[in-house]
Amino acid sequence: MKRAWQITCIAFVVLSALTILLSFDYPYRDRLGPGPAFFPIWLSIITGALALALFIQTTWGGSAADAAVKLLPERQGARRIVIILLALLACLALLEPLGFRISLFLFLLFLPPALGVSNRWGTLLFALAGSFGIFHVFYYWLKVPLPMGMFGI
Amino acid sequence: MDALQYWIQGFSVATMPMNLLYAFIGCILGTLIGVLPGLGPAAGTAILIPVTFSLDPIGGIIMLTAIYYGAMYGGTITSVLVNVPGEAASVITCLDGFQMAKQGRAGPALGIAAIGSFIGGTFATFALMVVSLPLATFALRFGPPEVFSLLLVGLSLVTGLSGRSLLAALIMTGFGLMLSMIGMDPVRGAPRFTFGIPPLYDGVGFIPVVMGLFGVGEILLSMEAPVMEVIRTKLTDLLPRREEWRVSSGAVCRGTVIGFFLGLIPGIGAIIPTFLAYVVEKKVSKHPEKFGTGVIEGVASPETANNAYANGAMVPLLSLGIPGSPTLAVLMGAFIIHGLTPGPFLFQERPDVVWGLIASMYLGNVILLVLNLPLVGLWAKLLEIRYQFLYPGILLFCILGAYSLNQSVFDVGVMIAFGALGYIFRKIDWPLAPTVLALILGPMMERALRTSLEMSAGDLSILVTRPISLVLLIVAAVVLLTPGVRLLGRKAGKDAGG
Repeated sequence: MKRAWQITCIAFVVLSALTILLSFDYPYRDRLGPGPAFFPIWLSIITGALALALFIQTTWGGSAADAAVKLLPERQGARRIVIILLALLACLALLEPLGFRISLFLFLLFLPPALGVSNRWGTLLFALAGSFGIFHVFYYWLKVPLPMGMFGI
Repeated sequence: MDALQYWIQGFSVATMPMNLLYAFIGCILGTLIGVLPGLGPAAGTAILIPVTFSLDPIGGIIMLTAIYYGAMYGGTITSVLVNVPGEAASVITCLDGFQMAKQGRAGPALGIAAIGSFIGGTFATFALMVVSLPLATFALRFGPPEVFSLLLVGLSLVTGLSGRSLLAALIMTGFGLMLSMIGMDPVRGAPRFTFGIPPLYDGVGFIPVVMGLFGVGEILLSMEAPVMEVIRTKLTDLLPRREEWRVSSGAVCRGTVIGFFLGLIPGIGAIIPTFLAYVVEKKVSKHPEKFGTGVIEGVASPETANNAYANGAMVPLLSLGIPGSPTLAVLMGAFIIHGLTPGPFLFQERPDVVWGLIASMYLGNVILLVLNLPLVGLWAKLLEIRYQFLYPGILLFCILGAYSLNQSVFDVGVMIAFGALGYIFRKIDWPLAPTVLALILGPMMERALRTSLEMSAGDLSILVTRPISLVLLIVAAVVLLTPGVRLLGRKAGKDAGG
């Protein structure tokens, strides 16, 4: 946990420094008063200083970081997390080219078996209801615009 | 128009058949969100915002608010039947509720929770009706310096009460404010930090961020150990025995008072009122040693406090425009999506929305009571859905919700990215609530600060020379620096897992 806190603090120091650098593209003051860079610069200075202070506290002082907590999940848990993230990314990539119905159908058809379900018919019904069924409810009944994809479905 | 006329106007709006229907649907969906593990009220409410797109603003807000307080009740069901709280506020209910279920008395536990929630929620709504108008009228005196200081108080409360490290909570607040700077400069209207990416001209979507942090992040965390066993128990006999009524009545009264008053403080969260109500009940009990073994007061008091808090927390949101929790920030986002800005001006500009909403909360509490007592068995059945179907189903609604806000795949990407971030921050125990609240309050805060400095020709002393602003700044400092407040925050953070 201590290492994770240190890394996160460094990430925030870097983020703050980058924000300060990018802020120089905008005026700090203008004719009316503080400009667009005013708030980002001061906010980044404060956030960066806080991150640095927490880094120092975590490294050399009495930190609230609980060393006993295990950060990495068990193998099976990690596998499930990776599967979900990959499925989400694939769905993101396919959402506009294939449309909501097909991409979500594939997403829902893939995910339950990948997480350990062996009931194929149940999964198929679930995928159909979750993609085509939900599309019908939201697109036609609730008038929520959803992507159609290259096949128009 | 005086207060009585406003109330009458509110009830005439709330009792319109369509608005009643929206409140009813909201209560059902909210309870469903509360029941389903892995879907908290913040993400659940965010996911369901698209459902309200085709509704008029009043109907949409009535439905989303009903989802919010419905979810606060729904969490009880899993606490009692599964020993897993559906949302963080129901953690304490597990102690006695689950023990009652093991003794075959799940029915009375859920029954008293529904009745207590009804009483607490109804009282808090009445108090909301009485308090909100004078508070909003007072807030109309605020200029930009006071608005900035008020927002600072709101953020300080959320930050000061979040997690176990003040520094980590402050950094997370800074992170949220940084995210809020992306998009159009709130004062000059010029693009800032957009990197030429068109979707960023509208800023980082608040709703996709909430769905990611609280929806996807929670599911990823649940994936580490997803197995959940439902305790099968009889759900007959929903009403408590006569002796249980006697001991519960005091618990319900105390829970109502604690929940409502703590609801007035932004950032306190629902966990502290429920814990405090439980502790107070244990202190006043003649048999404190029996708490944790299945006593009905241990369910009645925190559950009442939970719903009294949920309704009480609407006071700062409606009167001052300050959301006290991530779920209320989502509600605020929903107001904005529907073209309404919560705060004192809403009382002047759209009294029909404000008073219609408040009146609908009375009716919603009745709907929840009528709905939940007979339907407890059905909700319990939902707990038997396998996680392999449940979580993909929730993710489906996350994708749908994120996309449909702006018809943007970019927002779906934002949701996934913040889902991964939410998982990491939960793992390292850094609080998420300050980021969410800072993201929604950031533009208002920046606008108020910069306008204040324009008024004073760049002199920061304008913030301390105006009495109301000075008092608010002192409150913010006290909140951040007082050890007692920090202690409460640490306890809440520990119990809620950050």
